[in-house]
Parts: sequence; C-alpha cells; structure tokens
Amino acid sequence: MNSGLMSTPHVLLGLLATGDKHGYELKRAHDERLPQARPLAFGQVYATLNRLQRDGLVTVTGQERDGGPERTTYALTGEGRAALDRWLNDVEPPYPYVASTLLAKVAVALLVADLDRVRACLAAQRQAHTARLRELTLLKHAPSATLDDVVAADFAIAHLDADLTWLGTTLSRVADWHREVRHEPAPGP
Amino acid sequence: MRPWALLRLALAGTRTDTVRVLLTAFSAALAALAACAALTVLAIPTPMATPGNMVRWSEQYSNALLREPGLRGGTAFALVLLMIPVLALAGQCARLGAPARDRRLAALRLAGATPGQVTWLAMLETGVAGLLGTLGGLALYLAGHELLHRPDERGQLALPTDVLPHAGALAAVVIGLPLIAGLATALMLRRVITTPLGVTRRAARERGPGPWAGVLIVAGVAAFIVGWPVLLRRTVDGPYVGYALLLIAAGGLVALLGVVTGTGWISHTTGRLLRRYARHPAALLAAGRLTADPWAGSRTFAALLAAVTFGAGAAGLRAHFVAQDQLTRRQSRLAGDEWGANPFYLSTMSLVDLAVAVAVVIAAAGLLVAVVEGVVARRRTYAALTATGVPRTTLAWSLVWQAVLPAVPAILLALTVGAVLSRAFFGDAERGPSTSSVCEAAVQLCADPATRDQYTRITESPAVRAVPDVPLEHLALLGGGALAAVLATVAVGLLFLRSSTAVEELRAT
Amino acid sequence: MSQLQARDLVRSYGRTPALRGVTLDVDEGEIVAVTGPSGCGKSTLLHCLAGILRPDAGEVIWRGERLDTRSEAARSRLRRTEFGVLFQFGQLVAELTAAENVALPLLLAGTGRRAAREAALTWLERFGVAELADVRPGEMSGGQQQRCATARSLVTEPRVLFADEPTGALDTLTGEQVLTTMVRLARERRTSVVLVTHEPRIAAYADREVTIRDGAVEHSGFDLSALSTGGDR
Repeated sequence: MNSGLMSTPHVLLGLLATGDKHGYELKRAHDERLPQARPLAFGQVYATLNRLQRDGLVTVTGQERDGGPERTTYALTGEGRAALDRWLNDVEPPYPYVASTLLAKVAVALLVADLDRVRACLAAQRQAHTARLRELTLLKHAPSATLDDVVAADFAIAHLDADLTWLGTTLSRVADWHREVRHEPAPGP
Repeated sequence: MRPWALLRLALAGTRTDTVRVLLTAFSAALAALAACAALTVLAIPTPMATPGNMVRWSEQYSNALLREPGLRGGTAFALVLLMIPVLALAGQCARLGAPARDRRLAALRLAGATPGQVTWLAMLETGVAGLLGTLGGLALYLAGHELLHRPDERGQLALPTDVLPHAGALAAVVIGLPLIAGLATALMLRRVITTPLGVTRRAARERGPGPWAGVLIVAGVAAFIVGWPVLLRRTVDGPYVGYALLLIAAGGLVALLGVVTGTGWISHTTGRLLRRYARHPAALLAAGRLTADPWAGSRTFAALLAAVTFGAGAAGLRAHFVAQDQLTRRQSRLAGDEWGANPFYLSTMSLVDLAVAVAVVIAAAGLLVAVVEGVVARRRTYAALTATGVPRTTLAWSLVWQAVLPAVPAILLALTVGAVLSRAFFGDAERGPSTSSVCEAAVQLCADPATRDQYTRITESPAVRAVPDVPLEHLALLGGGALAAVLATVAVGLLFLRSSTAVEELRAT
Repeated sequence: MSQLQARDLVRSYGRTPALRGVTLDVDEGEIVAVTGPSGCGKSTLLHCLAGILRPDAGEVIWRGERLDTRSEAARSRLRRTEFGVLFQFGQLVAELTAAENVALPLLLAGTGRRAAREAALTWLERFGVAELADVRPGEMSGGQQQRCATARSLVTEPRVLFADEPTGALDTLTGEQVLTTMVRLARERRTSVVLVTHEPRIAAYADREVTIRDGAVEHSGFDLSALSTGGDR
C-alpha cells in the first residue's frame, strides 16, 4: 500500500486511457477504483499532470470555463500509452528491502528500552492491528459493499493477518531477541 | 535396507498391530494343528491283508474313522475342511487395523521407500507372525502326540499317536503356511503400494449386488440332483462316476458361494428397506452402513455361513441315517428278527456335529475381530457423533441392527440350502426287497440240521421307502447357535465402543 | 447475565496440564473467538464448555445451573438440543447422505422422518449445497463437507454453537464463505458462538477475542461494538 505514492503517475495514465478527463474527474475516478488507498489531494493531481505533460506523456485537449473555475481536459499521448504498457509489463520487485516503520520501531525499542516496554509496545500494536482487522472485516461484509471494496479489504486483511502473525511470533521470541541485542548470556538450563 | 532397519520398521506399529500379529499367529497355529492332524491320519499305514483281517483294518485304533482305510481319506478331508474357517479367521485378522497400517506404509512410501521395500515389510510382519504361529502349532501338536499316547485296556488308541507324518510334510506345513500368508498380504497391498497417497476419496457403490447369488444356489442344487443318480446307478468303479463326483463337489462349492454372496444381496436389501422405513437414528445408521458396503456382511459372515450350511447338510444326513435305520428295523421285524440300529453312522455324525460346532466357534472368533475392527476403525466418526450429543446407546443399537438384521435371513438361507443339498444328495431312505430264512420252531429243533429245514420258512420282505423327516430340531439348534454366536460377538464388540467414543479420538488426525 | 460461564477451569491430560484456571463468560447472541498457539488448551476449553469433557476443577454454568456435574446422558441431551458442535473435519457419517447426516440430530430428538428431511434440505439450501442432498460425504469436496457439517450443527437451532477450527482444512475463500454464512445465520438467530481458531483473520469475525496461552487467559479483547462503525453485521 505504501508504494501507492510512487505509482500515482501510472495510475493517472491508466485512468486517462479510458477517456479524456479533467483534473477533478481524475481524482474522483482514482478514489473510486482504489477505495482503501489514501485519497489523492488536488494539488498532487495537478503537479503530477504537469510533470506528465512536460515529459510528453499527456497533452491538453481543451480548456473550458462555464461559470466555475477553469477546467483543463487532458488526453493520453502515444508515448504515454507506451509508458503505461511498459509499467504494466514490469513485474513489481517483491519486497526488495524490508522497510517497515513497525519493524524499525521495535528494533529501536530493543536498544533503548527494557523488555517489558518492548512487550507492551508489541501488545499495543497487536491490539491496534486487531481492531483495524475487525473494522475491515465488518466493512467487507457490509450489505452495501461492492466487489471493489471486498477486493481492497481482502488485500489489507491479508497484510494485517501477516503482520499479526509476525507480532505473535515476535512476542514469543522477544526475550531471546532482547538478550541477543544486549549481548547477555543465555539463561542456564 | 539393512535387516535390522527392516525389522524395526516392520515392528513399528500401534497396539492394534500387536493384536493383529498375535491373532495372525493364533490362527496360523490353529491351521497348522489341523494340517498336522490331517497329515497324521494320512500317515496311518494300511496293514497287509491277512486271513484274520481280510478288510485290512488298522486294529490298533478304537475309532472306526481311523481303523477303516476307506474312511481315513474322508477323515483327513474333514480335518482339512476345518482349515476353511481358520483361514477365514486369518483373513479377518489381517484386516484388523488395516487402514492404519495402510496409512503407515503409505507414509513410508512418501518418505522414499520403494514399493518392493514396503511389500517386504508387510510380508515380513505377516510371515513372521505366521511362522511363530505354525511353530507354536507344531510344538502343541508334538506335545499332544506325546501326552495323548495312552492305550486303553484293550491296547487300542483313541488317536493315531503311534504314527508321525513325514518330517518333510511337517516342514512344508510350518514353512508353507506363513509363505502363503505373506504372499496373500502382498496381494492385498497392491493398491497401497502403487500410490504413496494411500487411501483417497472413493465413490460409493450405487448399484447393489445383483440377484445372481440365487442363480448360483439353484445351479449348485441342480448339480446335486443330477449328480447323485449317476453315482447311485453305477458301480463305484463304473464310468461317469468321476464326473459325477466332480459335479457334486463343484455343485456344493457353487451353492456355498451362492449363500455367501447372497449375504451381500441380503445386506443391501435389508439396508435399503430399513433406510426407507427406519424411524430411529440407530436404524438409519445401520442402514447406511449396510447399503454402503454390503460385502462387509459377506466377508464377515462367510465362515459362519459355510459352517451353518455344512451343519445343516450334516443334520440332513443324520435324518437320512435315522430313516434308513428305522426301515432296517421294520424289515427285520417283518422277518421276525430284532436287529438294526447300526450305531456306527450315528456316532460318526456326532463327530461331524462336533466339527461343525468347532467351526462355528472359530467363525465367531473371526466375526468378533470384524466387529471390533468396524468399531475401532470408525472411532473418529463415533467420537464426533458422541460430541454432538448422539447417545452411546444409539450407536450400540446401530451395531446390533447392523449385525443381526442381515444375519437372520442369511442364516435361514444357509440352513435351507444345506438341508436341500443333503436331501437332493441322499434322497429318500430306501431298502430293496430282501429275503431271509426264519426257523419257526423250538430252539432244539432249529439247532439240529436234520430237522431245521423242515421248519424253516423263507420270508420275503418287500422294498420299502421312507421320506426322512426334515430335522427341524437340529436345524433350529444350529441356527440358534449361530445367531447366539453373532449376538455374543456384537456384545463383546460393544465393549470397545466406550473407548472409541472418547473425546481424545477427536484430537488424533 | 451471561448464559454460559466457566469459572477457574482446570484440566490435565495425565501429568500434562491443558487448562490452569480459565474463567470465561459467553453472553446470549455473542460471538467469542478463542485464540492462541497450538497446544495452548483452547480446544480443551471448548470441550469443557460444551460438556464433552469434565474439568478436573472449577465449574461450568449453563443458564444459572451447573453443567459439568450433570450425568453423561444429561450432557449428551443438552448437546443435541441446546448446543451445536462443529469440528475441523471427520464429523459426517460416511455411509449416510448429506440430507440424512443433517437430519440426524432432529431424528434423535424424535422429529418425524419427513419433517426432519425437509428441515435438512432447508439448511443445506442456506449453505448453498441443496443439490448435494442425496450425495455421500466421500463424493464431496472438503468445502462441501464442511458446509454440510455446519448445516448439521445449526439444524436444531441451538442456543450456542461450538466451532473448533471450522475452516482449518479449507482454503481462504471457501473458509470465508462457510464462516460468513455461519456467522450471519447465528446472528439472525441470536445464537452464541464459541469459535476456536489460531488465525487472526478468522477471529476478526467475533465480537470479542479471548487469547489463551499455556492454559490460562492471556488477554480478553473488547467488545467489537465499541470499535465498530458499521451496524450489527
């Protein structure tokens, strides 16, 4: 989910491939297709479109103004379509770096805090994850849920489930880990 | 694989496997005993004909079955026949815990054992158990040979303890039986050995067994009816006698096969009827099992039904002898004489009845193994049902239903077929016309050859026929005994139900 | 008041302790997930609550009355009338068809054949396996078998459903379908559910999560209604 920022230009290219749109329409379409993603800010939409236009991937097809603010309509160029195709063909590298704020926080906690504090930190995190997992499960099974919602929730649920499994395992071995980090000898038999 | 590793894996079983090994050894010992006894009877030498013993009887025995050379073949054959229920028992024992063993062997295959190695393991288990059994049987036989060698006051022996079969023949029994058992195991394991995945999903047999068991029975009876007159009209050495004997033997086997397979049909039919009309869950559970595997009934009841058929035939034979005896008496009485009642045949019949009783007991042992196996193999389902609140009594009743329901008609069928066969075989009791001379005077006049002829009258008795009674009493006794054996085995099997419904069974996978 | 309560349950297998004093309440209509690592004692807890096992010490109270002191027959009766029990696998009778399996608890309760079969068909329908009514378990997939087993556990409309890893042998999607139907039907009928699982995502269907570790309650989660934004579903 945190790779969302990096893929925004390609998502916009993809949305333009279904027809010309102006900025507001693009934002709406984005939030609809990716319901559980962080909502796109208007500023980000326009900044990205400017960059895409500069690189020749999109082009302005018209400007209108009917009473409200000025609206610029964008279209995909041939180069833009090629860039979109390349992106779709590329395989996403599966976790090249293990970079998680959660993992970093626990690792640092081991350095600076005692065992009980680390445990408390892990337990609190587990509580929060569990609450979010339930919320998503409810959302997914709400009568109004569309398949878009279900698939997005499934993605999040699978990751939360993995995180929770990791939290449980880590809680079980945190004492050994703490000892290793602090270079303390293992307890006698 | 090194021998010790082979042995270690062959012996790596559960308690059930131990029980199976012990039972296999036990049935092998019984079979060896029967085989040794038959060999001993065959080993009795027939003495040269002497003026005092033209019929070449072996006068050292008190029992006619052993004394008369003409009867010894039959005696040995009967002893060999006793091996049939024993082998059926062995077959049941081999099934005990078989699913668990199949899974274990399949696991060994998954771990990389070759089909050959797994076959060796299984054969080794059965073979070693069988060898232990036959050795035990041989020891028992030799001990009995020594201990029972007690001539009575007339110097006669009750059993042929004065002869020993050829050592080679004994060795063949001791080695041969385990070999056959091992080969049979290898044959039964073909399916498991080819797939390391072991038992997988299987589609249930939707069509029940056809009514061709009836055809078999009718064919068997017909063979008897056709075969017997041929034997009767020709002299013993005449033409076609060999064919007629073959026909009758084949007819008997076919009829027996018909009774046994007929049980499959009976199981399926009673199961279907029960399923349609049953109101209680116990009956429904029993009906489900009967229709799902109708052959389980045939397999488990086979030996018992064979014994019952045989016994019914013997009862018919006894009725025939009794009728014959009465005719002889009647004829003699007409002739003014008072003899008859040759007790030999009737006492021989008692021996046959004893053999039938022994066969029923052995068959019941096989049945017990099957019932216990049925309970133990399904303990997971039973435990789950108990957990959902199904009372144990319901499960117990389903077992009783399942055993008794097909057993009653099957036993009736076996009794009928046996009685009909013997009736077809022996026919009516009859005696041809006979003449006898009777001296109708005082003892002194008759004793004097000069005056005897004067008073002697030739009486002629006409040919007589009598229809032997249907030996209802005997048949009822036999059927009742067989049913009692079934009920007793089910009762013992129920003892295993409690441990098989323990909640711990839910934990094991 | 809670309809099912466990007070300081202790239970051992030989010398191995499985429960060392567990206290737990289950309200009417409440779905409680019991989680924890393998061998923590969660299945033993379920067996004690359902009256399948007797605890060595402590008490189980069902609607104000002791359950664990009742006779085996009385507990059996309770299990087939007031409780439903569902396991991971192996609970269907192999020789009976799906409809007969589902009808079994009703027949035990004395329902007539026809009525029992009709109820069984209704419940099979609810789990989407009506077309399997006359099929035996051996011819079904694992998911279909578990749907039938779940239908059977609910056919008597029990007050409490005890489910021990009900989706443990199923793939994610099939397991989710079985679980969703089960939870929906339980909620509609205000049936309490005790759901034993080791998977967080399964536990997330419950109102409350109780974590067992080494035979004791490690943590008892909050009522979901306090967190949730959605409705009752």
